[in-house]
Amino acid sequence: MSVSNVNEFFSGLTLNDREMKIANQILKEITARVKFLVDVGLDYLTLSRSAGTLSGGEAQRIRLATQIGSGLMGVLYILDEPSIGLHQRDNERLLHSLERLRDLGNTLIVVEHDEDTMYAADYIIDMGPEAGVHGGEVVATGTVEDIKKNAKSLTGQYLSGMKKIEIPETRRESNGKILEIIGAKENNLKNVSVRFPLGIFVCITGVSGSGKSSLINEILYKKLASSLNRAKCKPGRHDMILGLEHLDKVIDIDQSPIGRTPRSNPATYTGVFDIIRELFASTTDSKMRGYKQGRFSFNVKGGRCEACSGDGIIKIEMHFLPDVYVPCEVCKGKRYNRETLEVRYKGKNISDILNMTVEDALTFFENIPKINRKLQTLLDVGLGYIKLGQPSTTLSGGEAQRIKLATELSKRSTGKTLYILDEPTTGLHMADVHKLIEVLQRLVDAGNSIVVIEHNLDVIKTSDYIIDLGPEGGDKGGLIVAEGTPEQISRCKESYTGHFLNKILINS
Amino acid sequence: MKDNIFIKGACEHNLKNIDVEIPRDKFVVITGLSGSGKSSLAFDTIYAEGQRRYVESLSAYARQFLGLMEKPEVEYIEGLSPAISIDQKTTSRNPRSTVGTVTEIFDYFRLLFARIGIPHCPQCGQEISLQTIDQMVDRILALEEGTKIQLLAPVVRGRKGEYHKLIQDAKKAGYVRLRVDGQVIDINDEIELDKNKKHTIEIVVDRLILKNDIQKRLSDSIETVLHLSGGTLVVDVIGKEEIMFNQNFACNDCGISIEELAPRNFSFNTPYGACPVCSGLGTLLEIDPEILLADKSKTLAQGAIQAGGWNFESEDSYARSYLEALATHYNFNIDTPIEKLPKHIIDKILYGTNGEKINVTYNRENGSGTFVTAFEGVITSMERRYKETKSEDMKKYYEQYMSNNPCPECHKKVLQSL
Repeated sequence: MSVSNVNEFFSGLTLNDREMKIANQILKEITARVKFLVDVGLDYLTLSRSAGTLSGGEAQRIRLATQIGSGLMGVLYILDEPSIGLHQRDNERLLHSLERLRDLGNTLIVVEHDEDTMYAADYIIDMGPEAGVHGGEVVATGTVEDIKKNAKSLTGQYLSGMKKIEIPETRRESNGKILEIIGAKENNLKNVSVRFPLGIFVCITGVSGSGKSSLINEILYKKLASSLNRAKCKPGRHDMILGLEHLDKVIDIDQSPIGRTPRSNPATYTGVFDIIRELFASTTDSKMRGYKQGRFSFNVKGGRCEACSGDGIIKIEMHFLPDVYVPCEVCKGKRYNRETLEVRYKGKNISDILNMTVEDALTFFENIPKINRKLQTLLDVGLGYIKLGQPSTTLSGGEAQRIKLATELSKRSTGKTLYILDEPTTGLHMADVHKLIEVLQRLVDAGNSIVVIEHNLDVIKTSDYIIDLGPEGGDKGGLIVAEGTPEQISRCKESYTGHFLNKILINS
Repeated sequence: MKDNIFIKGACEHNLKNIDVEIPRDKFVVITGLSGSGKSSLAFDTIYAEGQRRYVESLSAYARQFLGLMEKPEVEYIEGLSPAISIDQKTTSRNPRSTVGTVTEIFDYFRLLFARIGIPHCPQCGQEISLQTIDQMVDRILALEEGTKIQLLAPVVRGRKGEYHKLIQDAKKAGYVRLRVDGQVIDINDEIELDKNKKHTIEIVVDRLILKNDIQKRLSDSIETVLHLSGGTLVVDVIGKEEIMFNQNFACNDCGISIEELAPRNFSFNTPYGACPVCSGLGTLLEIDPEILLADKSKTLAQGAIQAGGWNFESEDSYARSYLEALATHYNFNIDTPIEKLPKHIIDKILYGTNGEKINVTYNRENGSGTFVTAFEGVITSMERRYKETKSEDMKKYYEQYMSNNPCPECHKKVLQSL
């Protein structure tokens, strides 16, 4: 039963006196809870939906609904991007619930990039000026207007329109090849057939619960992964997919961490570390000592510091106190043994290299084209500030996603790859979104195809082709409302996305 | 109360020793580039400190369960309230956790169903209700005065058997009449029951004519009936319809008794409520033939069964001997593509011969021979191995071939039939 059905069920329920007396309290609780769920825009969820299958945003809003229900005051609520995964239409409802929470007498601190949320806020703190080592300062504070006026604030520049993501003059034409899903029936999809033009940037839109993820992640990705990448997974229900011959691989770029161990880092993930190790192994010093590449890895015996087995830090368990991490006293956090560290390239040893930011490393290795090319892509996606040896566990979701994109960019493109991205702008600031769009456009320019599920209007407006699902969420969704270029969609009256898109296209 | 939260000298992660003032009771947004330190400020500093101060107020004993947060690198924070973080990572991956349980709506539903729900028989769908002896007596006395009634205790209900002993016991206990398959007979008569037919036997406990003063006798008799029958009473109103009464939650027709409804009966997380086949998950993790036989144009000999051992890669594997034996026994060709094989053959291969024995001939380096055995089936074998293995890696290996399927018993309804 979906939340909205529960609501109807209870409003239509008649009970005799005795039953009424017993049920009164219970009904009050249920209706209150259901109402909160409706308020935060989750009326399309069914009660039996497993919590593990909820998106992060949905789960967060459920907790939000529970909190509003608790009616506490004087509490400090800290929220992490509650607008994620919400269609513009649902966003307004969410903002109302947040305001309610504040009006109950609570303090709300919301980490957010969404413009509407900023306009609704009483006070904004803008951090920056840039990311990583170049960040960590308060750039501007105040109301939206104060921020807009502040020339130093990057957020302000975007809010006031001084900087903006340009709408492309012309939309790309498809290369004529088409991928077609016939008879998609997974979850709430109503036996729809969808055509994805290839060689361009396709954006899938629709309100929450309209079946976007069912179509793309459950059917398209799983089918392609099992036929092209030989993955063992079972695609969602559909009749068939035509046009597989136009593709040779499918890559899903999400925001999951690039590695869960501190031994993985941007250098190892992008493969640049292998080349760097090769470089170190080819120095005269190494040759004299007979060091091979493996000597410069902190993951295998030989070159690494054995006291900390290459971690650089040692974890001391303190039982009921939190674990304490101390730098390894043997290598002083350098992760390698003394002999290995004596090998230097242009005056730097391997540990110094790992501590370099991408920017520094780029100039340091400018004469090694292989390394240079990989590092350049990292810089292009806006990750110039990360350190080569930064453990991947400390990278944010957006950063991990961009490292994956950078790795893809540095590969030689076959022009037959399909990239699938599910809400890539999650957790990204307007300036980050700007960079991301540029990277995606570069991938398409290389002849590849991209399918993006997205609510962010900046991404939608820069895409070449839009497929809008809906019209509503849950049972009332699962149909294709409109497809075509952003201009065509904006003229479609039935499409919520078109409605919001229209405003933007007119404004510019 | 202070109007502001004041943070002095925050240095967590990349924060550069910053001082921030945040108005209280307001809607505050922290924004900035990805990686600019927003989360470091909001979560790692403000929330961490709020949480830490709260946890520190608890006893050391309680603290060991919570895990103390490290003191964030900040000089001091003033005006802090207890902090609740609503982030996106804390979703439980447990399949038992659903929208209903997380919002606790489900708990209220359970209560509602248990308290004012009306149970229905899982077999015939009839309403099930219970009565106390007093209610039964009142109901009977409400009948017209002078009505003749018989109080019957149903002891056998539609079951095969001769029931010699039962009849003898009833005789010894002093009852004089029985109603067998609707016929009232004297217990001293020779009673021959057909062993292979279903019978219904009721002991006639009392025969009464309704009058004002029979209440005591009536309730005594009803008590005896209920004791004999284990809770059901049949009142045979002479010349009219029978009335059934029940002391327990049981279906009058099917005799299926259920427990008194409790919230736990409606929980898919307890054995009292959960579907016994899928234990309340609604799905079963099973080897999926679609994955196992991914390429249906392949023949068995070309390795259509992808799982290790069954793919005909090695010349002398037992698996191969089994498949060849099956082919001979059921008369199919291992060179036929899977899609061309009839369904019952594929079922035999995947789910076994169901006890039917086949002749397996094996030919290996260390000897050859023939033995006769039943074949358990590829999928059955893999599922058995999956359950038996202690190795995580092997489990992962088998899980590749598995998918979550709706449970056949409850069809994703998750609860026992009640």
